[in-house]
Amino acid sequence: MQLTLEEIQSTVDKIMVEEFEVDPERLRPDAQLVADLDLDSLDGVDLVVALEKTFSCRIPEQEARGIRTLGDIYARVEAGLHGAPEPS
Amino acid sequence: MSETPRDWILVTGGSRGIGRAIVEAIATPQRHLVLTYLRGREAAEQLVDTLRAADCSAEALGFDVGDSSECAQATEQLRTRLGAPYGIVNNAGVHRDGLMVWMKPDDWRDVLRTNLDSFFYVTQPFLKGMLANRRGRIINITSTAGQVGNAGQVNYAASKAGLIGATRALAKEVAPRGITVNAVAPGFVDTDMTADLPADRLKSMIPAGRFGQAREVAAVVSFLLTEGAGYVTGQVIGVNGGLA
Repeated sequence: MQLTLEEIQSTVDKIMVEEFEVDPERLRPDAQLVADLDLDSLDGVDLVVALEKTFSCRIPEQEARGIRTLGDIYARVEAGLHGAPEPS
Repeated sequence: MSETPRDWILVTGGSRGIGRAIVEAIATPQRHLVLTYLRGREAAEQLVDTLRAADCSAEALGFDVGDSSECAQATEQLRTRLGAPYGIVNNAGVHRDGLMVWMKPDDWRDVLRTNLDSFFYVTQPFLKGMLANRRGRIINITSTAGQVGNAGQVNYAASKAGLIGATRALAKEVAPRGITVNAVAPGFVDTDMTADLPADRLKSMIPAGRFGQAREVAAVVSFLLTEGAGYVTGQVIGVNGGLA
């Protein structure tokens, strides 16, 4: 799947709004998923499932645990799709 | 062309004893059953044939539920082929009875591995999919020994008490996603496992005055698997003739 970073961001943002009812105004790359966007630990599982399904990729548990912000999601999806070095 | 996913239920140790009775009780043409066995291959295959003859969909899969790599392999192929199950019945269990003073480390490890580790090895790989499905049933077959202890069964009681703790904790984790987790705790039930026990002496201690039948345990499991049991979670349901 060839998507630009902007397309990835808008798709992820759409998931956040539609699946997790996050206010679009709060969607900033530095937004913390738990502290700022009110996702809980089970939402985290749902998020991983939604990302894997949408982008046809697999996010291993260890990487999923490292995702803290919306920006981390953009970077992880982009790395997974474009084969760039994965975020530490 | 892939088929539409349909409900399926996994029953570990489903070839004989209580597991077999559970399989027989919950088999319907509408859902697929996967029963696992370790040594009872012939019994498992015969059971599958019987179920298929009655238009029920079933298959038997042989692997050691206490072995993490065998479980990883089996659950991966099930997940790929069938997706996440609607229900998991963790029933497989062994006992190596004897006073703890004489107990060998292997007797401790084997029982904990098969009865408790297996719960994790078999259930964990399916949890993400079950959470995504937002429905499901997990039923752990524990024992009265895990509730009140039993001399000569320190290893067995520890494994079954561990299952009860795991049941209660996991129930709290997954309740928001419509998945229930319960334990069923049989007392003395007529199976191979209890065949060598001093039945007359034990019956005098059981208020009901008899051993239970495997189908009486299966009936409770069957209920817990229904949609109607959706508000029952984190519970330990004794099937013990009033023993505990």
